[in-house]
Amino acid sequence: MVPPSRRPKHCPDSEHQQRGARPLSVLLLVVQVYCLMSEVDMAVIKPEMMKSYIWLQTADGSIQQVEQEVAMFCPLICQEVIQKGMGSSKNYAISLPQRVNPAMLSLILDYCRFHQVPGSSNKERKSFDEKFIRMDTKRLCELTSAADSLQLKPLVDLTSRALARIIEGKTPEEIREIFHLPDDLTEEEKLEPLKNTTDDPRIRLLNRLYAKKRKELKEREKLKNVESEEERVDERSVDDLLQFINGGERDSKGTKSSKNKKKNQRKKDQLKDTCPIESIKTDKQESNGLNFVCHSAEVGNKFSTDLGETSNMQNMEDGIFVRKVDFDDVDIDDEIDPALKEKLDREVEDFARRLNSDWPERMQEILSLGHDMKPLRHSTKGNGTIRRYATRSNTVQYDLEQQPFERLPSYPTLLTK
Amino acid sequence: MKHREPPKFPCKLETELDRLSSLPAHVIDQILSQLPIRDAVRTSVLSKKWRYKWATVPHLVFDNHCVSTSSQDQTFIKNKLVNIVDHVLLLHNGPILKFKLSHRDLLGVSDIDRWILYMSRSCVKEFILEIWKGQRYKVPSSLFLCQNLIHLELFNCLLKPPSTFKGFRNLKSLDLQHITLSQDVFENLISSSPTLERLTLMNFDGFTHLNIDAPNLQFFDIGGVFDDVTFENTFHLALVSIGLYVNGKNDQAMGPGNSCKLLRFFVHLPHIRRLEIQSYFLKYLAIGNVPSRLPRPCVDLNYLSIRINFNDLEENLAALCLLRSSPNLQELEMLARPEETGIGVLTNFWEVDHWTSLFSQLRMVKIVGISGIRSELEFIKFVLSNSPVLETMTIKPASLEGGWDLIKELLRFRRASARAEIIYLDPQLQ
Repeated sequence: MVPPSRRPKHCPDSEHQQRGARPLSVLLLVVQVYCLMSEVDMAVIKPEMMKSYIWLQTADGSIQQVEQEVAMFCPLICQEVIQKGMGSSKNYAISLPQRVNPAMLSLILDYCRFHQVPGSSNKERKSFDEKFIRMDTKRLCELTSAADSLQLKPLVDLTSRALARIIEGKTPEEIREIFHLPDDLTEEEKLEPLKNTTDDPRIRLLNRLYAKKRKELKEREKLKNVESEEERVDERSVDDLLQFINGGERDSKGTKSSKNKKKNQRKKDQLKDTCPIESIKTDKQESNGLNFVCHSAEVGNKFSTDLGETSNMQNMEDGIFVRKVDFDDVDIDDEIDPALKEKLDREVEDFARRLNSDWPERMQEILSLGHDMKPLRHSTKGNGTIRRYATRSNTVQYDLEQQPFERLPSYPTLLTK
Repeated sequence: MKHREPPKFPCKLETELDRLSSLPAHVIDQILSQLPIRDAVRTSVLSKKWRYKWATVPHLVFDNHCVSTSSQDQTFIKNKLVNIVDHVLLLHNGPILKFKLSHRDLLGVSDIDRWILYMSRSCVKEFILEIWKGQRYKVPSSLFLCQNLIHLELFNCLLKPPSTFKGFRNLKSLDLQHITLSQDVFENLISSSPTLERLTLMNFDGFTHLNIDAPNLQFFDIGGVFDDVTFENTFHLALVSIGLYVNGKNDQAMGPGNSCKLLRFFVHLPHIRRLEIQSYFLKYLAIGNVPSRLPRPCVDLNYLSIRINFNDLEENLAALCLLRSSPNLQELEMLARPEETGIGVLTNFWEVDHWTSLFSQLRMVKIVGISGIRSELEFIKFVLSNSPVLETMTIKPASLEGGWDLIKELLRFRRASARAEIIYLDPQLQ
């Protein structure tokens, strides 16, 4: 058969069809494209091997034609062709989103070309995918972006899984290196939430403060549900505050000494414990933190049952928390840099100020209560929580027989102020 | 502080190099969802942009991998886990579509109540809770407020919904294992969850009558101790696997006029495709007067697996009835119950008339755990001579004893299918 003769670019028939913007039947498309195929050099054209092509234009202006069945694998292109009738000629090439550059387009088309063929087994597809994915991360990111803009979900799934595999298990430095991420977090970086999960509660406290400052009110409502968690964390800092306040110094310079005092207080706590813990006290100095925790856990349990409370995990956790935190204190102070310390101290001081607002009245109450040894009940809300808290630490100070493992009342109001 | 390395492409800006952060949010969510929760949250230290990218991840999975330190102290790990979950939930920002909690050291502590309350407010769709230690965890009532639930999976829990509970409107898949709930709670749960498609129940207690009224149910898998099972309106039920773990007492059910359980079982299963009868369920089905065939054949049934005691007459009758009523069966598996096979007392049962229409589609047969008694051999002979298109018959005896005799017998059997292969597997091999 003789190839069709060269026709002028603006074939009146094809233009007429385009203006309609109605869905084109495949046959029509084929006929039009066949007319235009003369635009491109073709070696041999056999009528029974007529392939239909779709014209695509990338953001940089270059236009190329692609086999129809391959291009139609992309939902976006499919939509453009069917709904808007685009892509059948060079003038009406489908303009692809900006994120698709020619290199990415050719990759995507390779992917489509393989996967649109029916009948390849799952195993074949999987091995193709594995090989396909092997490229540097920059191209992988570009490919993900391009595939997403073309709404090609299987490819997005594939590339995102590959990116996840790259990220998994690596340290932040490695990840930054690979993806060229700027290292622009300063001291905030050190307050990474999960890194310090069982470490210094002050850091945890600050994590929360920073998180809260950034979140909306909705987050604060949820915080109310975790108040029992709050109480465990913040117990130390308020204790710290009271210590610090009792010491009479109200400026930031006092905070450092308050920390030392706190440590001393903790040591006092240990001293006043009953025998089982005394024997462990010496262990505290060793770096065998876990055994230590183990013992304190048992003791904690014992105490809580003595107090007639249900031997709840949370009681044990208080005990562990108290002990373990103290143990780690020594290390933590060395790790934090001075800028952070100051920040922490300032925040702690903030707390002190807030607490101090009610202090004079409370001071009276405490003094009048004296060595009152009322067992403390756990209360989640309500008035007088702060009062009880003050009572508790007061008795800690004055009364050496007081059990340290009591369940602490919460003071959610303090943080939400 | 660390030094930043000079960029590899000195002429490009940093922002151009960083392609990852500029991906659309839903793509980043997808990437982070495929990371374990620990790695996902750690991306918050990568850069300013990444500080809270993890917080919108809709899938939260807390399992054995999220506590990185290995320690012998279980409570230490448990506390760490509680802290981690609390932290993540507190800092998370956005809808949570999937929540899975399954750590081997987690006991049913009250912290979980709090987390479930949080989930109920965040329109969770998939909720998986596995308590691996300790006694049954009593699920709080807030779980029953999650009306967006599509998949619910509970392991080692106690369910006691409030009286105002009206079912899960959107629940499609329910998986309850090692759970306790009362009879009416169970029935209410099933009947008031109209969209239920998959139901898995394993090792349950608190109820013994399984009355399944689920019009959309397609997959049903149970294993446990129960008195009876009946289906209502289950016309779409296609895959059924039932295991009755206790050797039922036949005497009590035997009586005149006692309708056959087998008949009742199949009444509401017209489109069943795969059926697995495990443990002692066949014994249960054999209660009553077993007919020679079912009134309506199971035309869609193409896979059948039966655990059977080849010595028991009733069970064999039930099996024969089933086989007669499954004209399009393609795969058959017969598992002999090992503890009961001994000396063969049942003979001449399987020497029935040759009906070539019986197994016209049967291609694969697997017979496991036999010990070479008369009844078993007759069954194999019966199958071989009635399956014109059989391709493989795999036989795996229970022990090596008598193996040689068994093979000698097998060699003699006539085969209706010229393509049939008999594959003999040694007991030790898989």
